[in-house]
Amino acid sequence: MVDPKFMTDPVDPPYARQSNPLVLLAAEVWDHLWPWSHHGFVRRRAIVAAEFSLGIAATIVWILAAMGRLEAGALIGWWFGWSVFEVIIRMGSKPYVKEGPWWGRNYRRANLMDMVCYVGFKNLLIGATLFLALKWAGLLTV
Amino acid sequence: MHVLRNFLFLITLCLLSPLVLASAYEAKLAPELNTAADLCAYAPCSEVLPGAVRFSTRKGHPPYVEGFDERDNRIGYVMLSTDITDTPAYSGKPIVTLIGMNNEGRFTGIRILKHSEPILLLGIPESALNKFNDQYLGQFTGDKIEVGRTRPEEQVIGVDAISGATVTVVAQNQVIMTSGMAVGRQTGILEPVQRTPARFIERGHKPDWATLVTEGSVRNITVRNEDVGLPPGEEPFIELWFGYLNQPDIGRSVLGELGWQRLMERLKEGEHAIFVIRTAGKESFKGSGFVRGGLYDRILLRQDVDVFTFRDLDYLNLYGVLTPGAPSFNESAIFIIRSTGFSGAYPWKLAFLGNRVDQATGQRSFANFDTDYWLAAEYLEGGRPKIEKAAAPWVRIWRMRALEIGLFAALLVAVAAVYANRDRLTRASTRKNKWPVNAFKYTAWVISIGYVGFYLMAQPSITQVLTWFHALLFKWTWELFLTDPFIFLFWIFIIVTVFLWGRGLFCGWMCPFGSLSELIYKVSGAIGLKRFQFKLSQRMHDRLKWIKYWVFFGLLAVSMFSMGLAEILAEVEPFKTTFLVGVFNRSWPYTLFVAVLLGLSIFMERPFCKYLCPLGAALAMPSTFRWFGLKRKQECSTCHACAAGCGSLAIDRNGRIDHRECMLCLDCMVLYTDDHACPPLAQERKRRQKAGLPLTPIGKDGYYIPITPVSAHAAKPATAGE
Repeated sequence: MVDPKFMTDPVDPPYARQSNPLVLLAAEVWDHLWPWSHHGFVRRRAIVAAEFSLGIAATIVWILAAMGRLEAGALIGWWFGWSVFEVIIRMGSKPYVKEGPWWGRNYRRANLMDMVCYVGFKNLLIGATLFLALKWAGLLTV
Repeated sequence: MHVLRNFLFLITLCLLSPLVLASAYEAKLAPELNTAADLCAYAPCSEVLPGAVRFSTRKGHPPYVEGFDERDNRIGYVMLSTDITDTPAYSGKPIVTLIGMNNEGRFTGIRILKHSEPILLLGIPESALNKFNDQYLGQFTGDKIEVGRTRPEEQVIGVDAISGATVTVVAQNQVIMTSGMAVGRQTGILEPVQRTPARFIERGHKPDWATLVTEGSVRNITVRNEDVGLPPGEEPFIELWFGYLNQPDIGRSVLGELGWQRLMERLKEGEHAIFVIRTAGKESFKGSGFVRGGLYDRILLRQDVDVFTFRDLDYLNLYGVLTPGAPSFNESAIFIIRSTGFSGAYPWKLAFLGNRVDQATGQRSFANFDTDYWLAAEYLEGGRPKIEKAAAPWVRIWRMRALEIGLFAALLVAVAAVYANRDRLTRASTRKNKWPVNAFKYTAWVISIGYVGFYLMAQPSITQVLTWFHALLFKWTWELFLTDPFIFLFWIFIIVTVFLWGRGLFCGWMCPFGSLSELIYKVSGAIGLKRFQFKLSQRMHDRLKWIKYWVFFGLLAVSMFSMGLAEILAEVEPFKTTFLVGVFNRSWPYTLFVAVLLGLSIFMERPFCKYLCPLGAALAMPSTFRWFGLKRKQECSTCHACAAGCGSLAIDRNGRIDHRECMLCLDCMVLYTDDHACPPLAQERKRRQKAGLPLTPIGKDGYYIPITPVSAHAAKPATAGE
């Protein structure tokens, strides 16, 4: 029976019922940073995803480079390509997103748009942090 | 087909025509403009200093040129704003402005050479900025000129802002005034400020280098390679240490007793000495092209608005720094400040002047690296003098519009508070009487349209998202965003509420255009047009709703390559036309576009919000992860009562709410607790009434609180207790 409280069917990642909150937090952090899962790794899908995202990243980097903005462009292009890759990979390996409060334990199956939103938003935060850190450290010129 | 193609071409041409006319937008300027001695060979100097037929080469610090008439009399000065200040405007980039000023310090002409302001590309004509600049003509550079109203009691001359481009004009005001004053000071038009001379306390100790650093008696300037557009390296471009030598303890520590005595003997009344050493880098702070009789063009000192430069006669050799623990150095100097305007008791800055090279274009631009210096209070009799700093432009704007800001903030808080209490309001409402909810919602709409939209012009837009993204990449300045207090506050509200409840509270309750669109729909229905109103089928809606996401992704992608083009394409938002510029002030394609969207709103609820709005799409994405959603019952999966009444078409056939599409109108929440409208509740109500059972209150789960008979066994102890 469909549960109308969730936008999609509820699912539990392996760590969802972990009683120790610190272990749960660590598992979630790992989940955010590592898109692959052992059971979900499908060789063919990974190769297709890699080719697809690499193509997008390379195109963006080349266009930006042609416009003389290689340094920041390379990073943005690479990050964008990575995000596309991550969406495809996660749909196969970790196809779920959190529902409701971030401190809660409700998860649901992710459709493509959910995953685009999740990866886009997460990588924007990580990317912005990295970008500012690199700029602050003087390793990136814009 | 041919006619259609011609029509589309005509539309495109009309849309792009302002771009063609906006000649200063991202104009290609000669690279020599920033560096050539003969500034006027690359800039139309005679246009800003009428009557001038000949111009000098660049002189002074910061640079300016002199203009001469036919009889070779000097009639004024011309300055390039980016030689003097790199104040960024709304785009995060400076507006390159050529400014003319006569011998009396009155502005004679102001010409924009290049700008990157999105709002002036389309929307507000560039002539509006020229008109804004014209307000300065004839004004004295020493006057207090501010954007806003004239305040005679404070000797403030007000200039009119450009509606919808406040940040741009505040930045431009700062550029014009800073430039005029910088040149006015150098040329003697403005008298240097007379400051009370410092009276030193001689503590009789000889501080070591670490102590001097800790107490701020020596300070440093470090310029990294990447700061001047060079590839990063291990060694900085230049690292300088400097300090003030007139203070006896510091002077004796650096020069030794004898050295300091000799220096003081050389100084006349009112003269001051500083030392500078280079501890890293290969670049000379004296300048490799320095010639006898010339000016040290890489170093200067600023005290408030006064600038002090150094000539060869102001230079003394510094052979060694005797302070214990002082770093080794490979270039050194003592510079003498020969001005009674300077005082060691007040803060000052030492500036290293460089050129930043744009690696992509090879263009050089002015770059200023400075560090503050202020003698510690224990070295000054009576401590540090009190200084009243002029408020920053954004602070002045917040002060000037305090009442409006307060009202706006109160409105945002009130709307959030009302929504936080939605449970009470929806319980007080029924399907047939939704006024407890709608009274607040409709009030929010009306205020949003009238006060927020038309009066404050605080319509959030996707262009702000793009601007922030680019500011994050290139130059983030809080002041820039604080200059528009309403948009700033609105975005705080949006960010907070999107994460709490989803985008619906902004889109559905507070967006001025969204409110206007839905109000038109509601009013049209109320005046008898309801029979013409329609909803698309869920299937059609589910296909069309993706358009707005593609529009958003398209704009984001285009902005990576060309912010200008993204700004043009962002005209898919009718906000500028509706609120910022006005439907009657724009060319007909824009007006037609708004008219079509609002006309369509008579028959369909929020067509723009549902299918086109890129801002809505941008906010919908994080709404996936809002913390608190709307309530659902298990029966909602089979009952379609809420879905049938959902104007946003956000409830699917399984009763699930798509929070990316939901406008939080709360209609479904009214049904949720309405025991005459919610089918499972109505069924239970009828069952209880038939069985003669009481109707208990409806719980948080949306059902009647169950009637649980108290067993005799459970009741016994209570009786015993009595």
